Amino acid sequence: MRALCWEGVNDLRVQTVPDPEIVNPHDVILRITMSTTCGSDLHFIDGYVPSMVPGDVIGHEFMGIVEDVGPEVKKVKKGDRVVVPSFVACGDCWYCQHDLYSLCDNTNPNAELQAPLLGYPTGACFGYTHAFGGYAGSHAQYMRVPHADVGCFHVPDGLRDEQVLFLSDAAPTGYMGADFCDIKPGDIVAVWGCGGVGLMAQQSAFLLGAERVIAIDRFPERLKMAREHIGSETINYAETPDVLAILQEMTGGRGPDACIDAVGMEAHGTGPGYLYDKALQTLRLVTDRGQALRQAIMAVRKGGTLSILGVYGVMDKFPVGVIMNKGLTVRTAQQHGQHYLPRLLEHAVKGELDPSYLATHRFSLEDGPRAYDMFKNKEDGIVRAVFTP
Amino acid sequence: MADALKGALGAGEASREQRRGTLILGGALLALGLRRVSFGSAALALTGGALLYRELARRPGQAGAKTSEVTRSVTIGRSADELYGFRRGAGHLPRVMEHFAVITETDQDRAHWTVHVPGGRSFSWDTQIVDDRPGELLSWQSLPGTELPNRGEVRFRPAPGDRGSEVTLHLHFQPPGAAAAKALNGLVPRTLAGDALRRFKSLVETGEIPTLDRNPSGRAATA
Repeated sequence: MRALCWEGVNDLRVQTVPDPEIVNPHDVILRITMSTTCGSDLHFIDGYVPSMVPGDVIGHEFMGIVEDVGPEVKKVKKGDRVVVPSFVACGDCWYCQHDLYSLCDNTNPNAELQAPLLGYPTGACFGYTHAFGGYAGSHAQYMRVPHADVGCFHVPDGLRDEQVLFLSDAAPTGYMGADFCDIKPGDIVAVWGCGGVGLMAQQSAFLLGAERVIAIDRFPERLKMAREHIGSETINYAETPDVLAILQEMTGGRGPDACIDAVGMEAHGTGPGYLYDKALQTLRLVTDRGQALRQAIMAVRKGGTLSILGVYGVMDKFPVGVIMNKGLTVRTAQQHGQHYLPRLLEHAVKGELDPSYLATHRFSLEDGPRAYDMFKNKEDGIVRAVFTP
Repeated sequence: MADALKGALGAGEASREQRRGTLILGGALLALGLRRVSFGSAALALTGGALLYRELARRPGQAGAKTSEVTRSVTIGRSADELYGFRRGAGHLPRVMEHFAVITETDQDRAHWTVHVPGGRSFSWDTQIVDDRPGELLSWQSLPGTELPNRGEVRFRPAPGDRGSEVTLHLHFQPPGAAAAKALNGLVPRTLAGDALRRFKSLVETGEIPTLDRNPSGRAATA
């Protein structure tokens, strides 16, 4: 089959690779109908997160048609149209049974490799680094999905592929980030980042009852999307000298009740602080550019919630004193998609959630390298590149 | 028992036999590490390579052998009795350890271990159960005559709340040569023990072991 492979830092190639096979009894083979880029892919493409191996098939946000099923698969059958969360979960371990699916104990074949990095290993993610399992990803014609009964969610008739595709990763991640904020009537939520996850976090904040949502980004077309598709108020930090002061004025001096970071380690920013981070990261002296996260910590009201969805490494200059003195609650995770997907599909069926507008650009799989290049450099107003293999 | 074992393991100078053992073990780890392409395997291969290098660079008779020990624990969502039953059940041990060794269970208490090394050679030993307390503990040791004497035990005890049981694996082996002992005291035994426990846990909790076998990739693919 054809697949998009990581061959080195900033070197993606479409290659012919062996077809996936059923290996374990709970596996299915999925024929990919749609797959999309994610901002977190950029971290290993740019070489900031370790343990990729040349030849790895990438991609972790996808949907498809079940092509073949393992002998122990019960709820899913050949021909089913399904969407699958990007983190692989077994459904049987203590973490899965407590709805903490991305922390699954039983799906990471490289658990012993990841444990030294985190203390304890997490579940595996498709098409990501070997520390996160090393399973082949979705930018391919077919892929193997382990523990299919836990991971595959049937797509209701009447929903188009592009309405469902982002329920694999961007939507559950954003929804989880808003859920972490424990939103009460009257709450104002600020979201850093208007990529797929940021926009989904904004929309989810409204679905969960936020009074107002404020979005922060630097691209006018993304901010426009936040205003027009979601109803967020927006701040373009590239045009305004002091985001913190503006947020304070917009919230009567209190600050947002919750702040969501949907940016991560390759944050952009302005001023000397950003240049300092950028220089150190370029020299590989630090793993993260923490501008967005630090700004969110400063902005949130006393006693408020900080919800972190962005991917980070081992960040230094993390202002824990601000968190402590302001009595903040910090909540964060890789997405627990299996917990949120039933709710999201319900919202989609009712017409309350339609993320199809994120699919701004379509490509064939053969155009994968060019698509990622455009996605990385935010050319032509791209929010997400979608592949139809 | 401990004294007899110490005698069998030998605590003096590294003999020719022991050096040979280290070379074989280093080669085995190197081969294991190179067989799969991953970060963990790379670490395994590096350690194997380091073992080989240090042993080859060392003059015979240098430094006495030291024991190498590792203890790892994991919590598994089953009762201690169930876990003991799984461990005792035929076929479980060979499956859990198949990433490292080929194991043939000769009878309920004895097993034959083989680790394949490059060049078609292999390294093997027999183990015998020496302590068996149902629902609590199982310990075993290699029979005399092997180049890599070892012993181990697995202990089961109830975990708090709804968490099942805490399972502790203790491995103790006598790598021939001090360099080997030092190297083995680090990553590799910890990784082997950790992998074994995790594989056992996954098999018991889910009925399968996570694997990258036959994982599609562009390694050696045609563009």
